[in-house]
Amino acid sequence: MTGPLRRRLALVWLGLLAAGAFATPWLPLPDPAALDAAHRLAPPGWWRAPFLGTDPLGRDLLARCLAGARVSLVVGLLATAVALVVGVPWGAVAGLAGGRTDRTMMRLADALDSVPLVVVVLFLLSLFQGHEETLAAFGIGRLQFFFVAVGFLFWIPTARLARAETLRLARRPFLDAARAAGSPPQRTLARHVLPNLLPVTGVMLVLTLPRVVLMEAFLSFLGLGVEPPRVSWGILAAEGLGALNPLVDSWWLIVVPGAFLTLTLWALDGLRPAGAPRSSWRSRPRKTEEESVGSPTAARREG
Amino acid sequence: MVNGLLPRLGRRLLVVAASVLLVHGLAFLALRAVPGGPFDTARPLAPEVRAALEARYGLDAPLHAQYLSALRGLLTGDFGPSLHYRDVAVRTILADALPVSLWVGGLALLLAFPLGAGCGVAAAMRRRLEGPALGASALLLAVPNFVLAGLFVLAFSFGLGWLPPAGWGGARHVVLPALCLALPLAAQVFRVAHEGARAAHGSPAVRFARAMGLPPRTLARRHVLRPALVPVAAFLAPASAGVLTGSLVVERVFALPGLGTHFVRAAMDRDYTLALGATVVYTALLGLCTLLGDLLLAVLDPRVEAVS
Repeated sequence: MTGPLRRRLALVWLGLLAAGAFATPWLPLPDPAALDAAHRLAPPGWWRAPFLGTDPLGRDLLARCLAGARVSLVVGLLATAVALVVGVPWGAVAGLAGGRTDRTMMRLADALDSVPLVVVVLFLLSLFQGHEETLAAFGIGRLQFFFVAVGFLFWIPTARLARAETLRLARRPFLDAARAAGSPPQRTLARHVLPNLLPVTGVMLVLTLPRVVLMEAFLSFLGLGVEPPRVSWGILAAEGLGALNPLVDSWWLIVVPGAFLTLTLWALDGLRPAGAPRSSWRSRPRKTEEESVGSPTAARREG
Repeated sequence: MVNGLLPRLGRRLLVVAASVLLVHGLAFLALRAVPGGPFDTARPLAPEVRAALEARYGLDAPLHAQYLSALRGLLTGDFGPSLHYRDVAVRTILADALPVSLWVGGLALLLAFPLGAGCGVAAAMRRRLEGPALGASALLLAVPNFVLAGLFVLAFSFGLGWLPPAGWGGARHVVLPALCLALPLAAQVFRVAHEGARAAHGSPAVRFARAMGLPPRTLARRHVLRPALVPVAAFLAPASAGVLTGSLVVERVFALPGLGTHFVRAAMDRDYTLALGATVVYTALLGLCTLLGDLLLAVLDPRVEAVS
């Protein structure tokens, strides 16, 4: 399923999800954390009370999935915002400055990119643990810090894209004109480059969002992300896998959160504008645009 | 390509070695900057015991001395004893874990690339297959591998009872984890190969060959396959990175004693030596896969400089 139909379906799903996630207090659903010993592991009733079943503690799975949607979507949006806010200026400065500054900045990004993910995440999270009280004074909790940490994982691809786009802009006459008219670099950056990066930033937003949502689920699944009193889809999937047992049938515990996650990723991916690059999350393009001009593979990879 | 290949290959290997060195240093710093240590237990140790342990494992030395000894470990391939499994050398753990991960990851790559590339080329040839194949790949791309793993366990282990749900010990244990890693990857390879094949079909060379009256099968085999595989070979490096990251989750789901399991546990327990050793192995594997991808690329497309 591709094309406009898919995009429409994707928008419908995301709309429903967002509405469901933010309207939960008004929906006739039990509290996502409320234990109900009488209805443990109830299978989905579809149109009756436990719509999507309950977990081993009797908590309603639909309510938990919607609560998880709130966390996953908010983490996704905020982390993407962090990635863009860090990555776009970084790439723009590197691209505009060129020369040694550019090389240093991009090599630094490459070096950071080559440290294994788990080490980076642990490092960022432990930074938080070290300064818990200080940050709490500013109203920053573990969850808020987690947004920043996940966003920080994705600023590097964003910076690369922003740099490539800046290099393309730098060849355009209006930047020559600005420079000839004596516009200082800060002003060129703020008035001429950054505004022109906005359209690409929109594309980057759409490309980064599904990766960030997946990364949140992945990290929470591994126990490195959102922590259990809170719910996220990764935690729900981990709980579902944990409850998996050949003697007690509990398929809905893995299928339901999995379906929420899959549909959302599918929908977010469907929003990608036609022709935008599809890259695996945390892919590492080995050559930047400037260095690989003229190499046939670069041309193909771009195309 | 052959001309001067060896010195350039040597240079590329040096780059891999340099990146291992750099990542080793960065990971060392990152791990030490993390508060908490390997000997933090739920019940705190007596200060004397703790001090003795730290002295025993050289953790009381100044940071630069510790780095130098870690560096010596890296150069000699002996990372010292694990700080969690106190009596086992990191080298032993890694030597036991690496084959597990290599089997699963290697099998996943071996499954995903032919499957994805074959379907991609076929879909570009038969327009009727194109829509369904693209839709299926979009869905497969959206399934996170831990969800896929859960579904597979439900279906093949509990439902049909064909394969064991977890553990390690035989060929039957490799199948499900490898499939979980391979299928999303195959969907990505499919996309890449499909676009490559579409581009190849539109190229003047193929149009000419078709005009000459070549049957479609010969056309696909002789003129479309090779150019379509060039972007696929370029995809090998990101793909292997994806397999390595994916293995963290898949090994956990299937309780495999592989690198990923040890790595996550070591990083969380601040098992400095084991985490560092695993980091080095990961980086080296990734660097070698990248190099392999570039070599393949040069074989497929002679215009590409083999190792620049």
